[in-house]
Amino acid sequence: MTKSSRRLLGLLIFGALAGVWFYLASLLWRTSVPGNLKLPKVDMSALVGAGELHQAQHFTLISDLFALCGLFLPIIVLAVYAKYGHRFISESAAGPIGTGMLLAMLGLAIVWISMAVPGLAQLWWYRKHGIVSTGYVSWIFGSWLGLIPVFEQICLTILIVMGFARLLRDRWWLAAVPVFVGVLTLFVFITPYEIPLQQIYGHPQLKAAGGRIAKREGVAKIPMRVENVGTMTSAPNAFTTGLGPSRRVVLWDTILDGRFSESQLEVVVAHELGHQKHNHLWKDIGWYGLFVLPIAFFIARWTRRRGGMAVPLAVPLFLFLWFALQTAITPLNNAYSRRLEAEADWTALQATNDPQAAKSLFVNFVSTTSEDPNPPAWDVMLFGTHPSEEQRIAMVEAWQAQNGG
Amino acid sequence: MNEHPVTLHVMDDLRRSRLTVFFRPLLCIPHLIWIYLWGAVVGIVFILNWLVALIIGRPAKPFQRFNAAFLRYTTTVLSFLFLIANPFPGFTGEPGSYPIELEVPTTPEKQNRLKTFFRLFLVYPALAVAGALLYVTYFVTFLAWWAAMITGRMPRGFRDLGANAIRYIEQGYAFALLVTGSYPCASPYVGMALGMPVVAATPAAMEAPPAAVEAPAAAEQPAAPEAPEAPSET
Repeated sequence: MTKSSRRLLGLLIFGALAGVWFYLASLLWRTSVPGNLKLPKVDMSALVGAGELHQAQHFTLISDLFALCGLFLPIIVLAVYAKYGHRFISESAAGPIGTGMLLAMLGLAIVWISMAVPGLAQLWWYRKHGIVSTGYVSWIFGSWLGLIPVFEQICLTILIVMGFARLLRDRWWLAAVPVFVGVLTLFVFITPYEIPLQQIYGHPQLKAAGGRIAKREGVAKIPMRVENVGTMTSAPNAFTTGLGPSRRVVLWDTILDGRFSESQLEVVVAHELGHQKHNHLWKDIGWYGLFVLPIAFFIARWTRRRGGMAVPLAVPLFLFLWFALQTAITPLNNAYSRRLEAEADWTALQATNDPQAAKSLFVNFVSTTSEDPNPPAWDVMLFGTHPSEEQRIAMVEAWQAQNGG
Repeated sequence: MNEHPVTLHVMDDLRRSRLTVFFRPLLCIPHLIWIYLWGAVVGIVFILNWLVALIIGRPAKPFQRFNAAFLRYTTTVLSFLFLIANPFPGFTGEPGSYPIELEVPTTPEKQNRLKTFFRLFLVYPALAVAGALLYVTYFVTFLAWWAAMITGRMPRGFRDLGANAIRYIEQGYAFALLVTGSYPCASPYVGMALGMPVVAATPAAMEAPPAAVEAPAAAEQPAAPEAPEAPSET
């Protein structure tokens, strides 16, 4: 086979694989929200008041500046670390993989140091607005201890990558990607057992509604639990986690503190059950697998100049590429996340048939979180994991128009 | 006399990296997970080894080597955790890989069956002392952490105190795991070799001039002469 025909064959294979990749991505991208849904314009100042709206916009703008810092500062720090991090090899008496783990942990430790000042400034901002009540010293100590799971994860990643790289050299990504996906699946499965969750006391109406909504959405009755975070924050939140028998709907105690009516809480529960109905956690895992594949492939190629991932010398560069590429796809990940959240909202509307409760819930979110209900496009792109409150309310109105509610 | 079958060799140069000192407990995470996993197997091996030792009068050689590697490994991890040494340790307990090294007999010795039968009861007082020493070490490490963060060096007294605690703890576990029949010795001068690598402790190497033996450490320790010579005179 000549060189040009080999290249042609390679291109054909690459093209076929890219086609499969896009097809799978398009499958995951699809949702049950009607494609022709027209969102009406919503006058948020009429709903939440001009003063509160202005305050929310101001709060979000400053919060976003800190968040931008949190997004890009680690990349800058890791870029510098990619150049000089190999000097820490002398601090290790371990073998290649152990040294790789040390370099990866030190890289993230330096990121933590660099993030201390912006982190404290953000804490000050949140404290000023009553969103968070954590003290400065507790925050420092807590975030230092927060490195434990971070270090565990990065050590596991390095173990997988370097372990396979020592066996398969530059083709480590072929074996590592399925393992990454498997590990993520395991983590999602065990998450409900790792979080200190408690039974919900009181709220008999909500509990009954939970069972009723689950039946209506066609999912098995999924236990509802509460997570106590009220000592740290006043922000309301709920989420769903777990797979199969470990599935849970989790409500923060801050959402059960009386600021939200029972009918609003029912919308929240219906939204979370909507995630389970449409297998969003499985879809998230699939989405991660789709993106981690090219990321790992490119890292395998780009770390060759440092001797490949079998040697610790490449670890600082790996760390930089790993975080930089993940940051680069953040807008796409957020867009995907917003689609799933919109589908969960739509499902909640179908299940509760109570657009007034949904609308008042989203208005209430603006007052309780101080978040801008209609943030600028760059904010949505970089940080918008959920549709904005304005979009959510617009969807409620569109649903009403379609269903006559 | 400073002879004990389980001897701790300290070849550390007292230099400390402030970055790794600051994050020291967190950097130990992969090691603590590995100790947990390896320790679970050691527990099973102990039961088998105990039965073997009761039957044939000495531990099985593969188990002896396995336990010896585990003790060497835990010594390096404890040394790293308690700032007794600077480098990040390896995961295999390989001999000669770390400035703080536990010399452990890899060939099983004949052991009294009665002492073997009651081993867990006999070791209990030593483990109680080891537990107390561990608390002392926590406190010393706390002080040493500040000293190392400020000066970039580990105070020699703190280092030696910590090393002695580790030496006693490891001797206790070596006795518990049937690696040796010798009970841990409370004297800080027994089973401790400051400034001497493991190879120097072998009979042939002991013939070498003291200056040559101590050379690696001497370069980093210009102050007062090391303490290990004192015990041999007492």
